[in-house]
Amino acid sequence: MNSIWEVIDKAETGPYMEERDFDLKVVAKKCRELVKEYEIRFDPNEIVTTDDSMADDVYEAGMRLALEAGIYCINTKRIIKFDESEIKEGILSAPKELVIGQGRDSRVLYARGIEDSRRPIICGGQAGAAIPEEWYLPMSISYMKEPLIDMINNGGLAIVEGRKVRTNTPLEIQATRRELTMLREAAARAGRPGISFIAGESSVSVLGDLAIASERYMRPSDAHLVALLNELKTDYDRISKVVNFTEYGAFNVTLVDPIIGGYAGGPEGVAVCFIASFLLGRAMYRSEYHVCHPIHFRYMSTSAVECMWNLNIVGQAMARNAPFIIMGDVWTSAGAGSEMIFYEIGANTITNVVTGTHPLGVSATNGKYPHASGLETRFMAEVAVAAVRSKLNRKGANDLVVKLASEYKDKMGKPDIGRPFPELYDVNRVIPKPEWNALYLSMKKKISELTGLDI
Amino acid sequence: MNHEEILQNLADSVISGDEEKAKDFAKKALEAGIDPLTAINEGLMRGMSQVGDDFSKLKIYLPEVMMAAEAMKAALSILEPAALQKGTGTLKKSKVVIGTITGDIHDIGKNIVAMLLRANGFEVYDLGRDVPIDDLIKKAEEVGADIIAASTLLSTSMPYMEDLISLLKERGLRDKYIVMVGGGPVTREWAASIGADGYGDDGEEAVKVAKELLQRVKGK
Ligand code: B12
Repeated sequence: MNSIWEVIDKAETGPYMEERDFDLKVVAKKCRELVKEYEIRFDPNEIVTTDDSMADDVYEAGMRLALEAGIYCINTKRIIKFDESEIKEGILSAPKELVIGQGRDSRVLYARGIEDSRRPIICGGQAGAAIPEEWYLPMSISYMKEPLIDMINNGGLAIVEGRKVRTNTPLEIQATRRELTMLREAAARAGRPGISFIAGESSVSVLGDLAIASERYMRPSDAHLVALLNELKTDYDRISKVVNFTEYGAFNVTLVDPIIGGYAGGPEGVAVCFIASFLLGRAMYRSEYHVCHPIHFRYMSTSAVECMWNLNIVGQAMARNAPFIIMGDVWTSAGAGSEMIFYEIGANTITNVVTGTHPLGVSATNGKYPHASGLETRFMAEVAVAAVRSKLNRKGANDLVVKLASEYKDKMGKPDIGRPFPELYDVNRVIPKPEWNALYLSMKKKISELTGLDI
Repeated sequence: MNHEEILQNLADSVISGDEEKAKDFAKKALEAGIDPLTAINEGLMRGMSQVGDDFSKLKIYLPEVMMAAEAMKAALSILEPAALQKGTGTLKKSKVVIGTITGDIHDIGKNIVAMLLRANGFEVYDLGRDVPIDDLIKKAEEVGADIIAASTLLSTSMPYMEDLISLLKERGLRDKYIVMVGGGPVTREWAASIGADGYGDDGEEAVKVAKELLQRVKGK
């Protein structure tokens, strides 16, 4: 038995270590050794892989890393260790199905399988981006109005009532509550009052999070993100968020985002680190579901070839060995209003739905600019549904993903960042402006032709 | 072993992040009568610039760069005192105080910038993450820094960068330091709008800008 309270004990009593030693002598060293031992290899021409034994190797290596490394707690400089039985208990008790949202807007979120023929759950929004308060409401409505979007994860607020919010100050409470008030209002106006949220994005420290554990803001059918820190670390702010939602009864979602080029090494080391993070994240936070977000140290985007390979191999490794409910992020370099974003969404979404994750996005420009809207997320949903309807297998998916990636991979250093939401949408009626709609229609046609999918 | 071989071994020890080898060849260089500054520039720095190149092409990753920096530091601990003793040329390095600013724990980008600065010969004081602006200024005063560099990935920590510049002005210290800012949501335009001296899209630009500013503002 291992609850968040035992985890707190471990954070106070586990073995002591300097952070730098944990980064270099534990994570970096072990990831490298395991990649070598299991001969895990990334091939840019096989972004969606068909080799089941490689997926199993990645899983086994990740399990070993989880057992050998544990999680480093930054505040206490101690390692929170789990033994095999605790990790296995975390796997066995992980939900395979979950009802999220309320009433007519509720959905069953489930652990997706490889080449799964079920319709994926679509989570829409410019996850995590700082969105101006004047457009927060219409922008949120633009996602919730889309019938294909099942749940929402939008951005946060950096300005509230005209005041700049500084992290970990009283205004963070107001910003986080305002974010939730506006999301609730948007849900009502869009006619989706029960739609499930992943929210509280304005809560950078724990302050905002504590302030929204109330039916007025977050319902028990909603969720917040609790990150693992890079790599295999946590801190008291994260653990406090878990304690808050555990007692409140809403969902904890582990955000796992190892960096390709960071401590875990290249794409292969990151894949191993991902598995360890999911297993340890579950044992530690008792999260009901998880977010898979590989980061490319140069481009950030999950649509980078190395990142999509990670979504693929990690999704498959988990689906085969430890079926968790996992959302796969769709973060693009390009912004809404550009052509490039459609290729990125196409490749990233096909990868996710064929290899075991539900698409979450589109976080256009990686959340750097609020250049996003409901329309490109509709496209993400349409691609997801089309891929599943056409019974795309991994081999077929790979051909399409490689083809789509070749359209944008050389442009990632200088992407077309598109335009801000109010230039793309009529903000009063919350409908796409004619030019944006026309671009969407023409790109949809182009990508349907390129891929042969009926999008 | 001739001089060129020793210098090559010094470069290799940095590239492979081998601390022991780096120290060993630093000693060998001195024994062979190589000028310590030559050993630094044509041995260690040559290795480091290779490391920087490989990292930017993702041939190697963060840990390798950190280990290279460690190896370089180890060799420098032998070569620098020797250079000082010999009084050859100036060893004075430009000093940078860097940190991820208040409220923000995103430190990977900052670590990369700090490392690349170090690899390019700067003396770097890295104060870590969630660093109050006060501490940045205090440290800069204490070590006589040339540059204060602040990093953030959070829009809600960007105002602290504005606070940093106001506080420097209020204390009459603004002209004493070059202020550089960077990190995810920070843009070139915004950096200019708050009156920062420099900005960098990535680690390489950060180094380039730091060097240019030093020359322009401080004549170094
Ligand atoms: C990794 C990551 C994390 C990790 C950070 C771990 C760590 N040790 O750093 C974790 C999981 C902990 C995390 C947590 C959170 N994150 Co976060 N995170 C990211 C992510 C995915 C990548 C950042 C990264 O490391 N990039 C790689 C490095 C190499 O790039 P970089 O930092 O930009 O650095 C380069 C340049 O900018 C430049 N540079 C950097 N610093 C400096 C300084 C100077 C002086 C100069 C010249 C140049 C320079 O050079 C660097 C090297 O090339 C970004 C997404 C994104 N788009 O960036 C979100 C992101 C930054 N996070 C975000 C958010 C919201 C959060 C959380 C608040 C989530 C939450 N609600 O809990 C928390 C914050 C907690 C806190 N108090 O800080 C948002 C920020 C939105 C905003 N604009 O405010 C982003 C943009 C994602 C999103 N849209 O949701 N995150």
